[in-house]
Amino acid sequence: MTDTYITLAHGNGGRYMRELIEDVFARHLGNPLLDVNVDAARLPWNAHELMFTTDGFTVQPLEFPGGDIGSLAVNGTVNDLAVSGATPRYLSLNAFIEEGLPLAQLDRIVASLARAAKEAGVVVAAGDTKVLRRGEGGGLYLATAGIGVRMPDLELGMQCIRAGDTILVSGPVGDHGTAVMLAREQFGLKGDLASDCASVLPLTQALSDLPGLRFMRDPTRGGLATVVHEICRASGLRADLQQSDIPVRDQVMSVCEMLGYDPYYLACEGRVVAVVAPDDATAALAIWHALPNGKNAALIGQLQSGRAQVVLHTPLGGTRILDELEDDPLPRIC
Amino acid sequence: MRYDAAYWLQKIHALELPLHVRIMNVCGGHERSITMAGLRGVLPRNIDLIPGPGCPVCVCPEEDIYQAIQLSLSEKIILVAFGDMLRVPVNVPKNEPRSLDAARAAGADIRPVASPTEAVQIAHNNPNVPVVFFAAGFETTTAPVAAMLAAGIPQNLSVLLSGRLTWPAVAMLLEAGKPGFDALIAPGHVATIMGADEWNFVPAQHGLPAAVAGFTPQSLLAAIYSVLRQLLTDRPFLDNCYPELVRPAGNSSARRQLAQVMTVTDANWRGVGVIPASGFGIQPALAVHDARLRFPAYNDPSRKRAGEMPPGCDCARVVLGKIYPDQCRLYGKACTPRAPVGPCMVSDEGACRIWWASGIREAKVA
Repeated sequence: MTDTYITLAHGNGGRYMRELIEDVFARHLGNPLLDVNVDAARLPWNAHELMFTTDGFTVQPLEFPGGDIGSLAVNGTVNDLAVSGATPRYLSLNAFIEEGLPLAQLDRIVASLARAAKEAGVVVAAGDTKVLRRGEGGGLYLATAGIGVRMPDLELGMQCIRAGDTILVSGPVGDHGTAVMLAREQFGLKGDLASDCASVLPLTQALSDLPGLRFMRDPTRGGLATVVHEICRASGLRADLQQSDIPVRDQVMSVCEMLGYDPYYLACEGRVVAVVAPDDATAALAIWHALPNGKNAALIGQLQSGRAQVVLHTPLGGTRILDELEDDPLPRIC
Repeated sequence: MRYDAAYWLQKIHALELPLHVRIMNVCGGHERSITMAGLRGVLPRNIDLIPGPGCPVCVCPEEDIYQAIQLSLSEKIILVAFGDMLRVPVNVPKNEPRSLDAARAAGADIRPVASPTEAVQIAHNNPNVPVVFFAAGFETTTAPVAAMLAAGIPQNLSVLLSGRLTWPAVAMLLEAGKPGFDALIAPGHVATIMGADEWNFVPAQHGLPAAVAGFTPQSLLAAIYSVLRQLLTDRPFLDNCYPELVRPAGNSSARRQLAQVMTVTDANWRGVGVIPASGFGIQPALAVHDARLRFPAYNDPSRKRAGEMPPGCDCARVVLGKIYPDQCRLYGKACTPRAPVGPCMVSDEGACRIWWASGIREAKVA
């Protein structure tokens, strides 16, 4: 790493964060189970595999249209397990609470967390609470670790991806990032856009029987562009995305136009990007279209051999490269 | 907009164009839309779209940023600034803070804001601390600052104003002869505030086609088609391809507020030099809110010469449309968004930054 200090950009899901993880955490903590490039680790356990993951949550504001830090803390971890092909079972919860947080707000958030856990079919089996002095935390930070059971014989991962595979997304991108930003009212913008914060388990389980399913990931920090970039980086393939096929809500588009953001880098919290063999693409799309959270699913592109980069084809026939995210458009969205 | 982008594109391709047409835009938002839509790749090859002086952060004089940095380090104040000013480097020896960001890391209380409202809020919340609002920007950003001043602001808030007018920079290019472009796309946001008529001088005095454009590909392509038609028929006029928002005389209340609280002065543009009547100053009646008068010790006119672009940096030529970003020797090598050398690689409005964000990674220069 060339940097002297940690900056907010080291948490954005892009280039800086990758370097931080590789050069500091992986360097000290590296072991055969810890793969910094997957969403959850595989732990051998009898005949099956347990999947284990952890995530921290610092979103501001704590509550926003479509969710709050509580539902986010459940769905963030549940989704990391789900896209790894596992059925989430148990969560642990750490709450770092800042002195002065209204108890009524904490109660609302924990109730929401419980609702989200129930919906996702997980149990909070362990927990811990710490209170920080005023000024030492943003009201409330949460951390969850999750254990899931992986469906037997499921072969999923970046290593399964082949040239010719298709890229699908389960719904409109950028809703969460935009909704949180609007909730901050920092730019004098208002809107009724809700975060897509939800468990993606129904979406991932529905695809798990498909023989051509190669890889799934939830596009959180860094958004769709970052996930596809990671796919290219790992597979050595080139991705061609059709801009007109990528679902983006009008409100997200207009906010992006106003503030100069790129919607393909904005976070989702309830979407799945899937890589599927070409023969199964139509079937995968039909499966998603039949689900409540998959109505707007779309086939957005294809992987080819070539220079490993993400090429976005604009509606007019122009192209631009979606590169690894540089600095953070929106800090603290999860 | 009645016609879509594909329609205008087809009309442009049907024109019998001269061998080489250079169309300049003077708005970072235009350059962003052009680059993000990949317009350069779909237009006929003989059309060059040139990003011009469209980035207020890029032309903000080095002495103003230096002044803001020194103020924030030496006085017990809160300095607020638009976020993209924070990383713009100044020319100082290695061990001194070379940006507002570095000054913040060194302990200065510097807070990024997205609007003047936030600056007022910070001043309200800290009544016993002088708050200095470093306001750099074109007419579009300066108008809300004027509105803020006109509405009355807390006694502890002052403004370090570095506002610029866009048209004088274009006029300077045209008056210097060899402007380097054959037609102009006039800025949509600036024209929304100041009016389309401000750009009449381009066809009227210099005989060059001009059109005000919005920020969608169809509005930009409509404007490009318009200036090409003007060129081919040799009948230059000022077209308005953004009539949804742009009126001939602009936004009258915004202009009134600008006139009420600001003066127009000769102003230094970083790497370019002094352009007559191209800067905003604060009316003497509001002197108590003018940070330049409130903290006169930090006004260092001797920096005006020192404050050119950093050595090797071609930002000035990029700003003036003389070269493309990837023709700078530093582009993508010594100068990246992570370690920017010049301001064009810092701001979201800067052409280098926009080109980098669109995935252009390698410099073309030998």
